[in-house]
Formats: sequence, structure tokens, C-alpha cells
Amino acid sequence: MTQQEHKASSIWIANLSHTFRKQTSPAIKDIELTIPKGQLTALIGRSGCGKSTLLKMMAGLMIPSDGAVRIGGHTVTKPSAKWNMMFQKPSLYPWMSVRENAALGLVFAGTYEQKKDSVESLLDMVGLSEHKDKNVQQLSGGQQQRVALARSLATEPDILLLDEPFSALDAFTRTQLQDEVAEICHDQGITMVMVTHDIEEAIAMADKVIIMSQNPGEIVGDLDVPLGYPRERSQPQFINLKETLFAEFEKIDQAKQQAMANAG
Amino acid sequence: MSDVTATRPTMSIGGLWAGYQRWPGWLQNLTNATLGMGILLFVWWIGGLLIASNPDTQAFANFAPGPTFQALWYLIETGSIWETIYSSLYRIMIGLFWGIVIGVPTGILVGYFLMVRQIANMPFQFLRMISPLAWMPIAVLAFETWDAAIIFLLVMATVWPIVFGTAHGVQRIDPNWFQVAKNLGADGYQMLRRVILPAIAQDVFAGIRLAIGVAWVVLVPAEYLGVTSGLGYAINDARDTLDYDTLAAIVVVIGLIGYLLDATAVALIKRYSWRVE
Repeated sequence: MTQQEHKASSIWIANLSHTFRKQTSPAIKDIELTIPKGQLTALIGRSGCGKSTLLKMMAGLMIPSDGAVRIGGHTVTKPSAKWNMMFQKPSLYPWMSVRENAALGLVFAGTYEQKKDSVESLLDMVGLSEHKDKNVQQLSGGQQQRVALARSLATEPDILLLDEPFSALDAFTRTQLQDEVAEICHDQGITMVMVTHDIEEAIAMADKVIIMSQNPGEIVGDLDVPLGYPRERSQPQFINLKETLFAEFEKIDQAKQQAMANAG
Repeated sequence: MSDVTATRPTMSIGGLWAGYQRWPGWLQNLTNATLGMGILLFVWWIGGLLIASNPDTQAFANFAPGPTFQALWYLIETGSIWETIYSSLYRIMIGLFWGIVIGVPTGILVGYFLMVRQIANMPFQFLRMISPLAWMPIAVLAFETWDAAIIFLLVMATVWPIVFGTAHGVQRIDPNWFQVAKNLGADGYQMLRRVILPAIAQDVFAGIRLAIGVAWVVLVPAEYLGVTSGLGYAINDARDTLDYDTLAAIVVVIGLIGYLLDATAVALIKRYSWRVE
């Protein structure tokens, strides 16, 4: 890859494999992946296919045993507020108010005083105007995840990494937040990578879906989602894409099972 | 049957109980607390009467509430009690200070690192079960002044509850809080200041509350030895001079200050508590 291409791509992964300690076979193997700036990407696959491991490596929370993740030309070796991760659980700090939680990344960076207003407008944007001074324990699950979203966005990340962030929410809140997060990333040009095992969520949010399979975890296919935002879930095109993705996933999965049976 | 209940007087037990249940919580609490103190005073008063009416124990009649409160008033009026209280509180505070300075960092290490916990567990459990007063002979040998020896005993009393309270708090920290903070760019100091300390504050203060309780109990017998100030000394002195009313008055003061110290700790726990019940 040339230097030029490097700059245009946000995340560049080459020859990445990882074997957990005390294990002989790799959890993920030979991952090659280039994610252009501003693309919304979904990694889908069964539990245990290594998609969360791959995401953690992008976040710098884990270091691969082979190969590397490069962001903007630099090898990722540690977490940074520039590539921010949102987790399945909001993990808010219960001794802080909504505002204090959202502002935490800026407090760490020492820039809260200058960027106070941006925290206020972020909280307005995620629909928490009425709740800024409340303790986070008084909020519903969906509201808590909104605080976590505001907290992640406050540091103005180039990349937002999402690890099944809506799976603990009820269906209505979930779809609403899927739409909001996708639109925010799309509008602000944030590169998003999300991990999910929900095919509808992948189609609802991503420009590109990457399919992973397990034993070892590897990339086995992808699908472009040429839809604008916001996306109408009852639209025939949406439903078609969902079915295409599902069929693709099943086909790959069966082929893999077959291959494993033959090998075994 | 119904006409019987209808003619019941309004001041029946059942009527009172029904009325009581309608009271607000704070009034029930206040009434019961007053009742509890009333029972305590009553038992004390009866005890005083029994002692006074028995020729064998008549010499101790000044232990009764009447003489005690007179003596207490005298101690307050002359101001001699303040010096005594100050000496004891000073020792407690210094003991507590060192207990916290040693106990909190130790507790953080024990709670955070499994290896430290495994190494420390047996020795700490062993040392913790030794009465702080059992260290007295060693303390007397090791320290030049009686005051230092007493403070050493208080540190031995306060450090364990603080270590275990802190360690317990650290162990209960949600590991995701570390991950999120790291992800948001926290350095080591920020992690301590913004995540670890606020997360464990209430458990640390719960440990301090226990420590204050033990230290206050240990202080009085510790002050029997050597020193010429403090509440323990005052009790011993009153016994030697047969001032039983003064002795009982100092017991009242000890109980009262103990209660106030505990109430302060409870207020701190409440202030730093973030768990919504």
C-alpha cells in the first residue's frame, strides 16, 4: 500500500493473527482488512469468531501476537481518545452526573474548560437535555447508553468502535439508537466499526458488512449496503439486503462446517 | 362483636398502634430512640437504687444517675473535662491518621493485585486477630514515650479494618470502569483520582468507621498505663480517689463521644456513597 492510500484509509490491518496464551490454535488468523475513512463497517459472525478480539485490537486494548493494526499510518499499541470504543454495557461512573460522565474524556485530556459547550450540545443531540444534572443511576438502559455515546463523541474521535452496544436494550430503543448513531457517524465523517451478530443491525447501520467465521476466526466474505440514511426497515431494498446477507452467511457457514467435518 | 369494638375507648392499645403506624418515619425513629434511652436510664436508676439499698455496696451509691450527672455538670462547669477529652481525641486522631496512611495504600495493593492478596492474606488475618492491647509490652519497649506507645496500639487497632475495607472496595470495582477510562485516555494518576478513589471511598469510610469503633474501645485501657491525661487516665484516677460519680460521668462522656465519632463516620459514608439503594 502506498503512502497515499495509507492516508485515505482510516484503518489498515495486514497479516493479523492472534493466539491466546495457553492455546495452540489461533483465535483469529490472517486478517487483511482496509477500512476507508468515514466508512461504516459491521463485523458479523457467530459468538467466538473473534470479531470482538479484532475490535479490541483496533482499539489498542489488545495487542495481536502477529501482524498489526495501523491507524493513519501509525501502529496501534495502546488506547487513544482518537479511536474510541463503546461497549455492550454503558459502564458509566455512578458517582458522577450525566454531564460529568459525558465530559470525562475531556477532563482526562485537560480540555474540558475550553470545550464545555460541546458537551452540552452533545447531550442535547443524544436527547438528554432534561437529564444533564441527574445521577446516571436514575436513567433507563437506553438513556445510559446515550450517555456513553456522548462520552465517546466528546473527545471528537476519528474512529468509533462499537462492541454490540445495543444488545442489552429493548427493540424500540435499539432501532432508534442504531439509526441515531449511524446518522451521527455518517454526518460527522466518523469511521465506524461495529461488532454484531444481528443481521438487521448490520444492514441498518453499515455501508459495508464483513462476514467472519470461527475456528479460526477469519474474514470469509463481505457485502456492500448501498442505502442512504435514515434507513427504512420495511423498505423492499432493506429486506432484500437482509435476506441476501443471511443467505450469504448461511452458505459460508455451511461450507465451513463441511470443510471442518472433512478435515476432522 | 361489632358493637363491642365500637364501644371500645379510643385510647386502646390497638388504637395507639394504628395511630403509631400512621406517623411519619422520622417521628417513629425519634420516639423509639427516646424510648431506648429512657429504658437505659431507667435500668441505670434501678441499679443505683439496688446498690444504695444494699449495705454491702452502699459505698458505690454514687454510680447512680443523679450523682453522675451532677459530677458531669461539675466537670463541664470547671472546664477540666475539655483537657481530658482533647488528650484522648488527639491520640485517636493521630492513630487514625497513621491507620489511614498505612491502611489505604496497603488495601489498594491487596485489592488490586491477586498475588499481593495471596501473600498478605494469612499474615494479615493472623495479625488482625491479636488484641491491640496484647502489643502493649512490645510497644512500651519499642517507643520512648507513653504517648507514642499508645498511638502505636491505636494504629494496630485501626489499620486492619481500613486495609480490609479498602481492599473490599477495590475488588468490587467494575473492571469495565478501568477499560473505559483507559480508552478515554486516563493516565495512572487520573485513574486513581477519578476512578479508583471515588469508587472505593464509601468502603474506605466503612473501614474507618469500624476502625474508630475499635480504637475508641482500645484507647481507654491503653490510657490506664503511664500517661497522666486522657479519659482512660481520668477513669483510673477517679477510681483511685473513690470519686465514683466522676468515674461514671467520664463513662458517660466516653459513650457520648464514641457515639459522635461514629455518627461522623456514618455521615461520611453517606456523603461518599454512590450506590442507589
